[in-house]
Amino acid sequence: MKTLVITAAVSLLASTAALQAQQPGRGAPPPAAREAAALDLTGNWVSVIVEDWKWRMVTPKKGVYEAIPLNPAGRKVADTWDPARDEAAGEQCRSYGAANIMRVPGRLRISWQNENTLRIETDAGTQSRLFHFAAAPPAGQPSWQGHSLARWEYGPARGRGQARLGNLKVVTNNLRPGYLRKNGAPYSAGTTVTEYYDLNTLPNGDQWMTVTTKVEDPQYLLRHYLTTSDFKKLPDASGWNPSPCSSR
Amino acid sequence: MEPQSLLVTLMQSINRHEIPIAVVAAALLVAAVNVLVLAQDARTEPTNIAGEWRLDNNERDTSSQAPLGDYTGIPFNDAGRLRSDTTPESIWGTLEYQCRPHSAPHQWRGLGGASILVEQDPLTRAPSVYHFQFMRSLDRPVFMDGRPHPPAYAPHSWTGFSTGEWIGNTLKITTTHLKDGFLRRGGPQTTDMYAMTEYLTRHDDILTIVTVIDDPLYQDQPYVHSTTYTADLNNRVNMETCNGSFAENGGTDRHYVPHFLPGENAEALTEWITKGGLITGGARNPANAEDWVPLIAARGGMKTLYPEYRSTLNGSVTVEALAVPASRSAASAEKMIAAQSPRDGQVHVLPVQGNVYMLVADGTNITASLGPDGVTLVNTGAAQMSDKVLAAVTQLAKAVVAPTATNACYGAHCPGRWGWSSPYINTVITSPAPAPPIRYVINTSAAPQYSSGNEKIATSGSNTRSGGFGAAVETVEGAAVLAHENVLSRLSTPAGNAGAPPAAALPTVTYFEDFYKLPAFFNGEAVIVYHAPEATTDGDSYVYFRRSDVISAGDLFSTVSYPTIDVAKGGSVQGVIRGLNAILDLAVAEYRSQGGTWIVPGHGRLSDTADVASYRNMLVIIRDRVQNLIEKGLTLEQVKAARPSIDFDGRYGSATGPWTTQMFIEAVYRSLQEKK
Repeated sequence: MKTLVITAAVSLLASTAALQAQQPGRGAPPPAAREAAALDLTGNWVSVIVEDWKWRMVTPKKGVYEAIPLNPAGRKVADTWDPARDEAAGEQCRSYGAANIMRVPGRLRISWQNENTLRIETDAGTQSRLFHFAAAPPAGQPSWQGHSLARWEYGPARGRGQARLGNLKVVTNNLRPGYLRKNGAPYSAGTTVTEYYDLNTLPNGDQWMTVTTKVEDPQYLLRHYLTTSDFKKLPDASGWNPSPCSSR
Repeated sequence: MEPQSLLVTLMQSINRHEIPIAVVAAALLVAAVNVLVLAQDARTEPTNIAGEWRLDNNERDTSSQAPLGDYTGIPFNDAGRLRSDTTPESIWGTLEYQCRPHSAPHQWRGLGGASILVEQDPLTRAPSVYHFQFMRSLDRPVFMDGRPHPPAYAPHSWTGFSTGEWIGNTLKITTTHLKDGFLRRGGPQTTDMYAMTEYLTRHDDILTIVTVIDDPLYQDQPYVHSTTYTADLNNRVNMETCNGSFAENGGTDRHYVPHFLPGENAEALTEWITKGGLITGGARNPANAEDWVPLIAARGGMKTLYPEYRSTLNGSVTVEALAVPASRSAASAEKMIAAQSPRDGQVHVLPVQGNVYMLVADGTNITASLGPDGVTLVNTGAAQMSDKVLAAVTQLAKAVVAPTATNACYGAHCPGRWGWSSPYINTVITSPAPAPPIRYVINTSAAPQYSSGNEKIATSGSNTRSGGFGAAVETVEGAAVLAHENVLSRLSTPAGNAGAPPAAALPTVTYFEDFYKLPAFFNGEAVIVYHAPEATTDGDSYVYFRRSDVISAGDLFSTVSYPTIDVAKGGSVQGVIRGLNAILDLAVAEYRSQGGTWIVPGHGRLSDTADVASYRNMLVIIRDRVQNLIEKGLTLEQVKAARPSIDFDGRYGSATGPWTTQMFIEAVYRSLQEKK
């Protein structure tokens, strides 16, 4: 009997140990975000404009805010869009804020700024986003890219020794007011942007990143604004073409 | 300390009685709780995507229908553009398309939400099949059990054949066997030679769907788009019944194929940019004109998809001159087409419906009716395949008439069994019955690929003949060979120096009227042979197995090539179109414009009404284009140079071999010149 009890205890402890080994962050300091990454987004990416081409690749005329659920206040602001005014005010980057930057045609460079901070640079508008996984610094003043908190979303456990696959979730706020579309459809400082980053390998071998973006703005939107943006991984930085923000 | 080292130390301590058993028991309890908690966290099952979902996306393709001629964001090549430019939305009015659901590439963007149901393994609860259902759609199963995709000569459907696998949080779905359709409502078309791959990822209550459409015949690179749904317990997928009618198709001509000649509607394609959107009464509202969109970008194309395109906006560089990081296609249309008609020296068997099977014999289809009355073959294939065809038919006939099965009858009262003392023993001590004989061979044309196997195959069979009054029915060697009388004429007096085939290879029964019925039911059903005048030649037939509801179309229909029209032997493009229309009049779709009556083509995959309609439409479109060029006074060479079939050549044409695109265009031209 004693042997049986001991054997059972050891077996259970062994199970516990094995499961603990699969759990990042249990019983030990959590691994850094970079080490625990559910997917590798680092590298060079180019946006592929398949959807909403006429609103993204070129700038639509004033008043074209079709598909954006603007409320009356939002429409009122959108109807007063004046790119010259934005230029005069130094506000050319209004459509390059976190709520829209992934919709802007261009290239991305994604790298680890440190073990717990992922950095996204854009050549269009030369913007820089920081995704903080832990010990996020104080939010500070509102900015175009705001303050982003990130976490991995893991998929089911895989075989022993295999990294768990998953996705990235990022929540951004503390934003400077900007545009959801280049022609002045507004979002306010109270906006929250929730993004989900997926990585898929297409049948032709392309690495494809899809960013699902949910914008919530109680000031200018009737309901959330939900879009997806697609990027293809590039082998190198060729085509990287930094260009300043443009309001037109 | 590593977990393994900890365990070793623990065991040693217990054995030396350094740790009391009470402590061990306490540890047991704690460990058990730990295991339960941690096991819950370390889930091994995939994300749950089953449930009701509402389309929730703020992009143009989902919020409204793109205007006619808007190909922005589509990596079209010239063939894709032409096909889309010339395809009006009224194509939905054709009888065979009236009830089709959204094409697979557009389905996730159609309104009405989605239901995702799941079948689970009863023991492991692992998903074995997901079922996707949309408004206007058919149930779309996604098999998760690792089964392979069907052979390429199996039918295509609107939703295709899908298998799935979980990769992390993402369900990857691979779909093949799709019919032709559209990328978006409003015009952008696909061929039926595309592969579709989808990636479904659930994030909180959002489902992100990435769809890859790889259509190498119409696209310069795969078309990848994405959309989103939101979980919604209150969503209900509405069912929409379909009530098709002739009236939708011009009202008077059920065979009418709406289409534009190239260039005919060029102005209409750009009105959304130049004149504004349609408003009530067919007028256009200039205020809605999307005049900021460059006309060249509206035509789509791979080079307009990348940020490099923006450098063309100031006119300093042209779109053609751009260098972009293009993607390649992972699909080979040539291979996909060839796989529908494998020329591998083998015989492949595809069960069809009722008594009927399709045999793919080195790329040529043979239709077989198998049952207690024996075997009827529609065509015999090439002579060099006869031994393999006979072997396959014999094996199939045995399996159908006397299938191998274990004894299921015990005791003295086994119904249907013969014997006295121990009837069931005769079901074990037995040997299989011989295969029933080949009774009929029906030739749909004189082409050697269909009839040169007659001699060996027909002579292997047998038929019966009445002995007259008072005499017994006589069994005669050799199957009856049935064909239109012009087939007999062609075979018995071959052109050129070719010698006539032996008598055993010639038709023994011919007909010369519109149709011929086998004198009695065969395998429990009527078999009717119809004549298609002036089609590929003057002797074409197609065969209808009435209860099985299968039509063997012979040379009238192929899913792998243009029809081989021999004008010198009485063929014409008009006759082929009439023959296809006659088949469509006879056939009925099961539901939502697919399935129902199956049509076995001379070459290629098993098909249904929509497939035949697609082929008929292609021929009508090319015929009308050639006719238009003839009316403009173009010579044959000029017509060929104009490439009136450019949007179909990748699908059905060939630059080499016995039947090239140039030969086909010449046949169309000549048959129109002769006003047939």
